[in-house]
Amino acid sequence: MLKKLLTGGSAALVAGLLASAAPAQAETTINVVGFGAGFAWADLFGPSGTEKTQALLDFEKKEGIVINMEYADEDVARQKVLLDLVNGTGNYDLVMLGSDGAVQTYSAAGYLEPLDGYADKATDYFDAKKVYAPFLEANRVDGQLWGLPYYSFGAGVLYRKDIFDKYGITSFPKTTEELEKALQTVKDGLAKDGITDVYPLTMRGAPGEEPSLDLTGFVYAYAGDSAWFEGGADTPAKIKETGAKPDFTGKFKPGFDTFVRWSKEFGPPGIATHTWVDMMNLYAQGKAVVLMPSAINGFAGLGSSEVAAVKENSVFAPSPVGPSGKAIQSFWTFSVGMSKYAKDKEAAYKALAFLTSQPVMENFATQIGWPYTTYPEIMHGPILTGKWPKETLDAIEASFNDAEPHYFPYIPELTEFMDKIGTAASESISGSTTTDEALNNLQVWATDRMERAGYYKK
Amino acid sequence: MLQDWRFWFLAPMVLALGIVVLFPSGYLVWMSVTHWIVTDPSVYFDGVQNFATLFRSASFASAVQVTALYLVLSTILMLILAFGLALALSGPNSPGFIRAIVVMPLVIPPVVAGFTWRFLMNGEMGFLGAFVLPNVGITTNMLANPTGALISIVIADVWSRTPFMFLIFLAALQAIPRDHYEAIRLDGASALQEFWLVTLPMMRSAVVIALLFRVIDALNTFELIYVMTKGGPGRSTQTLSLLGWKTAFQGFDFGGAAALGVVMLVVTTVCASIVYRRFLRMPS
Amino acid sequence: MSHSGPAGQNPFARLGRLAFLGATLVFVLLPIAWLALGSLKTRNEALALPPKLIFTPDFSAYQKIVAQGFLGAFGNSLTIALSNVVLTLLLGTPAAYALTRIRGKVQDNLSFWVLSIRMAPLFAVILPLYVLFKSIGLLDTRFAVSLAHLTITLPLAVWMLMTYFRSVPEDLDQAAMLDGATHLQILLLVIVPIARPMLASVAIVVFILSWNEFLLAFILTSRGSQTVPVAVASLAGTMSFDWPLIAAVSVCSMIPALLFVGFAQRHIVSGLASGAVK
Repeated sequence: MLKKLLTGGSAALVAGLLASAAPAQAETTINVVGFGAGFAWADLFGPSGTEKTQALLDFEKKEGIVINMEYADEDVARQKVLLDLVNGTGNYDLVMLGSDGAVQTYSAAGYLEPLDGYADKATDYFDAKKVYAPFLEANRVDGQLWGLPYYSFGAGVLYRKDIFDKYGITSFPKTTEELEKALQTVKDGLAKDGITDVYPLTMRGAPGEEPSLDLTGFVYAYAGDSAWFEGGADTPAKIKETGAKPDFTGKFKPGFDTFVRWSKEFGPPGIATHTWVDMMNLYAQGKAVVLMPSAINGFAGLGSSEVAAVKENSVFAPSPVGPSGKAIQSFWTFSVGMSKYAKDKEAAYKALAFLTSQPVMENFATQIGWPYTTYPEIMHGPILTGKWPKETLDAIEASFNDAEPHYFPYIPELTEFMDKIGTAASESISGSTTTDEALNNLQVWATDRMERAGYYKK
Repeated sequence: MLQDWRFWFLAPMVLALGIVVLFPSGYLVWMSVTHWIVTDPSVYFDGVQNFATLFRSASFASAVQVTALYLVLSTILMLILAFGLALALSGPNSPGFIRAIVVMPLVIPPVVAGFTWRFLMNGEMGFLGAFVLPNVGITTNMLANPTGALISIVIADVWSRTPFMFLIFLAALQAIPRDHYEAIRLDGASALQEFWLVTLPMMRSAVVIALLFRVIDALNTFELIYVMTKGGPGRSTQTLSLLGWKTAFQGFDFGGAAALGVVMLVVTTVCASIVYRRFLRMPS
Repeated sequence: MSHSGPAGQNPFARLGRLAFLGATLVFVLLPIAWLALGSLKTRNEALALPPKLIFTPDFSAYQKIVAQGFLGAFGNSLTIALSNVVLTLLLGTPAAYALTRIRGKVQDNLSFWVLSIRMAPLFAVILPLYVLFKSIGLLDTRFAVSLAHLTITLPLAVWMLMTYFRSVPEDLDQAAMLDGATHLQILLLVIVPIARPMLASVAIVVFILSWNEFLLAFILTSRGSQTVPVAVASLAGTMSFDWPLIAAVSVCSMIPALLFVGFAQRHIVSGLASGAVK
């Protein structure tokens, strides 16, 4: 059988392969790379990410633009985007970008098309005045806009009110100091009741850039500014001007220490490897009391939870305020930017504006049902008000408006720094180094890296 | 040089491999001596600077250590397991279905193997990590503990890659002519002596080939570890291959990653060529 | 030596052998069983501890595979793996045969060069390979993945075949030469028929390697030509972490290769055995 297959089938196979090597080109095709099939733009591409719904077909017909979407894993999708951009392949006209590295890096490297010049090109679809300003601000580097926001969120806490009540904590703490006490009370209470598989706190502590988003939010709340570089310098210009050296062993330390200490004392034992998936699952399974500061992961867990106590007793609370008087941050937007190598930029922008337009975001809100959106009108509209109490929506809206989108420095090396900082946190939480060792290493590496990048050349 | 039929038999393979190998190799070497960091607009010849930076970095030192530990541990375990299985299952009346089960992990993509073991080992919700291990008194969270995480990836890797080694050993074992044993048995040798005097020497080249491919595979292991621990906690399971990937795709330092690639390629090639010349070269 | 005669006469040895086999079977089967069970549970059941062993099987994850268009990935993987098998055997068989009919430095260096191709760390060749396939216009084609997989499969295939061809006596060649056969005829009419079991086992191993490979397949494909491991990885990255679906796709990803191995498990061993010791 095998032989027949190999000999008889081979000719046909090779012919088929060669035929498939020639891609078909439509007239104006806009290729998009994104993540989360069945999640992002499920209203346009269906649950499988391979169909085209009527809403999309209508747009394509009206504008004469064909939108092709390719979904990949969030982490590895970045790798592909990078290869495409570095080589100027132009395979992707529109790319999904996180505001915690990709926007800063790709814009600095000249791979993206600045969007300011297009602001009035497709206002039917996207009007900057209608979305929450901080989400746009997060995509601004050097005063230029590089992406339009899609999946976006601010900081916050999702917690189990029933468990807080049980241990006599009647309202969610407003400050980090009070929260630490409350977590201790919960921890003692759980221990007294012999509950060993529920943890007071769930956060993410995996190595790499993932935990850094929340961790740098802690640092910001303790230091009052990003505290990566002396004097809180947070742009290449400021760093060069003042010759600001990395400050990881200085002002960065209190927030870092707290993040590590809380993780160790109140978090689940595996926290040093946890990503948003783990924190979401733990919360959904009723195994965590407080999820923070990326409350959106809690809402994601809520959506999939089959545990009644979790579904009925979860309450949102604003992110607590740190010693500096500023709240813990976890502000992020997954945006869409345009490749410098996009062939038809006008059409690409139109597709981009459509993909981030109010009707599309309305569909997104309907489908995921979490109290997050980029448009105030949707936030106060029937879809979300029908599902969530007004206080929750107002508190979440406040978390957008009060956020400081630039709570970490906007430097081209951001992704690399995020990776190293997150790895240092994971190392400290797992106990393979002390926080002092980890921060010392970070300081040495960062100084070397900044020198290599020529920041301190006179 | 070859001018006859043998040239034509070899040419297509050499050509095909040449296309997919020579250009990338040259490109790799060029990158390794180039200052090419995506975040830095200028790309220029930088001599051995990438190598100097690499050898200075703490991540490199730790990755060498992690890689060595992982490689040695997993390879030893794999050898023992594969050899043991081959011996236990080489008999003519050993049930075929057991062999079929033993080789099953071979057909499971390492990505899948990584996901599966990660969720088995998860300390809060995994069947092994949160149920079996605590019930036998092991309360350490395997994936979050630096040693535990290394052990976990070794276990998953042994699970995933032993079958291939087992097949090579099983084949080699079955190819040993029976008369070799009969001769030595007439001399009154014990089972252990049989093993030392006949089995082991006859399996030498199979073992060397299996080891050679194993070491090369281990140095290239990426997705299994990436999926299970992302190199963590901290850097405790960050092997050279993960470090290289991170340098290129998270640090955007293509020059630095290429330098690491060149170092790995040179070291592996030198070691393999020693093994090759010592054990595998055909008599001329 | 179990196969050489009165194995396991010693009851302790027999007991030890059974215990060892038993432990190994548990070790090997546990993750597979867990995957299979997980694919039939709901999300909540799949995460519940202690695990529910008795539950109503839920086949919705398998329905999703069809509904969400994952069958395409299976088609891609199958095409890539099969064409890789064809390419590997077409290129590797004559080369391996010729290599065993050469002596001295050329043979030495060439066989080592072939082996050394596997030593390049994949992370380092990703970018160059991408550049290469881009420049020849093969990016995002299944053909490109098949070609790239040659770097993994061809060295192994050539080496496996070389050990085998070495055991085929050169007298056979000479006899055929005397009958006036060309070398191509000798290869096709004499050597290949003898080597059939070995070729089959090489084909299977190559198929599995190609089927399982992730990194190259991921980098070189997009929309149209995604493979199964790539699809599994992208599933795990979605916000609606769907373990039963991941498990179901994983279970299905084993089937084609499993069929191969199931059919030909004895074949592999006897094929390998015929060339293993030389």
